[in-house]
Amino acid sequence: MDKNFAARRRRDLIIAALLAALAALAPLFVKNVYIQNIMVLTLMYAALSQSWNILSGYCGQISLGHALYFGIGAYTTELLFTKFGVLPWFGMLAGGAIAAVIAMGLGYPFFRLRGHYFVIATIVIAEIGLLLFQNWEWAGAAMGITIPVRGDSWLKFQFMRSKLPYFYFALALCCLAWFVTWWLEDSKWGFWWRAVKDNPEAAESLGVVVFNSKMGAAAVSAFLVAIGGAFYAQFLAYIDPESVMGFQFSLLMALPAVLGGIGTLWGPVLGAVILIPMTELTRSYIGGSGRGVDLIVYGGLIVAISLALPQGLVSLFSRSKAKGATR
Amino acid sequence: MTALLETRGVWQRFGGLVANSDVSISVGRGEIVGLIGPNGAGKSTLFNLIAGVLPPTQGSIWFDGKDVTNLPAAERCQRGVGRTFQVVKSFETMTVIDNVIVGALVRNTVMREARRKAHEVLEFTGLAARADVLASDLVPAEKRRLEVARALATEPKLLLLDEVLTGLTPTEAQTGVALVRKVRDTGITVLMVEHVMEIVMPLVDRAIVLDLGKVLVEGKPSDVVRDPKVISAYLGDRHAVSA
Repeated sequence: MDKNFAARRRRDLIIAALLAALAALAPLFVKNVYIQNIMVLTLMYAALSQSWNILSGYCGQISLGHALYFGIGAYTTELLFTKFGVLPWFGMLAGGAIAAVIAMGLGYPFFRLRGHYFVIATIVIAEIGLLLFQNWEWAGAAMGITIPVRGDSWLKFQFMRSKLPYFYFALALCCLAWFVTWWLEDSKWGFWWRAVKDNPEAAESLGVVVFNSKMGAAAVSAFLVAIGGAFYAQFLAYIDPESVMGFQFSLLMALPAVLGGIGTLWGPVLGAVILIPMTELTRSYIGGSGRGVDLIVYGGLIVAISLALPQGLVSLFSRSKAKGATR
Repeated sequence: MTALLETRGVWQRFGGLVANSDVSISVGRGEIVGLIGPNGAGKSTLFNLIAGVLPPTQGSIWFDGKDVTNLPAAERCQRGVGRTFQVVKSFETMTVIDNVIVGALVRNTVMREARRKAHEVLEFTGLAARADVLASDLVPAEKRRLEVARALATEPKLLLLDEVLTGLTPTEAQTGVALVRKVRDTGITVLMVEHVMEIVMPLVDRAIVLDLGKVLVEGKPSDVVRDPKVISAYLGDRHAVSA
C-alpha cells in the first residue's frame, strides 16, 4: 500500500520533469512571437492558478480576490525599482513577502467567515485595493507606472528583443508552484488543509488548529501569486491598477483550477493549458470590436465542462486509473 | 491516584436554557464509563464541554491533573483527549488512510511515521482492507469505525465516544463492543455516551445518569438500572412506583 503511494508520488514527479523538459524545448520549434506570447501567458496563469489552488483548492477557502496579491507583487516590484532603484529580483521577493503578510492580516478577520461570506469578502477587499491604487498619487494613481527600458538585461530582468527569457522564467515559476504543491501535498500542512476543507470541526478535534492552517495556506498562496505579479509587470513594462489588479485576474486564477480539477495536483496546469490559449485565440479571432464574443464562447465551454465533469478535467484520468487500480 | 478527567461544578446555559447545572463527574484511569440519560438530559453538551468545543458558562474541567477549562479543542486533543462525533464527520473527499493520517499527525511529525501509525490503527480497528477507499464510499458502520480509528490515531489517554453503537445492527453493535473493550485493554480510558442501555450496561465499569442537566445517579451499571430515580427519569413516575 505504501509502495503504491510512494510510486504514485514518484510517477507524478517524473511526469512533471518530462513535461517541463518538453516545454523548455518548445521555443526551438515555435518561432512565431504571437504564439510564444500565448505560451508565456499560459505558463504564468498555470503558475498563478496552481498557487490559488493551495488556498482555495486544498484548504477550501475560495478566494475571488487574488488579483490583490498579484497587483501587490507588481506594484512593490515597480515602485521599488522606479523610486529606489531596487532590482526587480529583490522587489519580487519583497512583493511576495508583503503579499503574504497582507494575506494573513486580512485572514485574521475574514477566516472567521464561512462559505459564501468569505468569497464576498475577498471580492470586496480586492476591489478596495484597486480603488486605493487608482487614487494613490505617489504610486502613479490611475496613470500607472512606466518601467524605464535600459536594454536587455538579466540583472534588471527586462528583455525587448526576445520573449524567450520571459518564457523560461514563467516556466520556472510554473515548475516552482507545481513543486511546492507536490511537496505540500504529502506534508502535515497538506493533510491539515484538506481536513479543514472537508470538515473543520472534525479537524479541530484531531488536533488541527484550523485558523493557523488557513493562515499558512493564505501566506504561501499570496506569496507565489505576488511573484507572478512581479513577473507580469516586468513582462508588460508598464502597469496601471486595472491592468494588474483588475477582477479578471482573480477569475483567471480560479478558472483553470476549477476547470482542470480544484484541489488536485494537476488540475490548474491542465486547465490553464486548455483555457488560456483558448481565451487568447478567441479574443484575437472572434474578439476585437465586438468585445465579448470570446467571453461568451469560453463561458459556454466552462458551463459545459462543469456540467459534464464536475470534478474537473483531471477526473477523466483518475476515473480510468481508479478502475485499473481496483479491478 | 487522581482521576484522569474531572468536571467541577460545570454549568452551561444557552440563553434561558440550562443544559448542564452543577455537573461534577470524574473518570478514573483505565475505566470505561457510560454517560447515559434520556433525550435532552445534557449528555451531548457535557461531552462538548469536555472535548473543548465550547467553554462552560461556569465551573472547571480538569484533565490529567491540569485545568483545561479554557483550552480549545485542538489543544485538548494534543493533551490526549480523543473524540468521535454522534453525526459522523468523516473527511469525505479523502481516503480512509488519509483520514486517519490527519489524526496520526498530532504525535508524528514525520509523514512516514504518521502513515505507519495510521496503518497500524486501521489494522487494529479492522479497516485495513478499506484503506484506499474514499471515506464517502464507506457504509455507515464503517464510518463509525473510521471515527474511532481517527481518534485512536491521535493516541489519546481518554477516548470520548458519542453514540458510536447507536443505529447499528445487533451484529455490528457487538463488533463495536468488542472494539471498545480492545481499546480499553490498550490502556485507554473510555467515556461513552450511549442510548441503548442493554448494549452499554454490560460493557461499562460505571454508569453516570444525567437527567435535566444534573447528575441523577452514579454507580455500578447493575445498581443504576434498578434505581427507581433512573426508571422514573426514563419511563415516568408511574413505572418507577410499580417497579
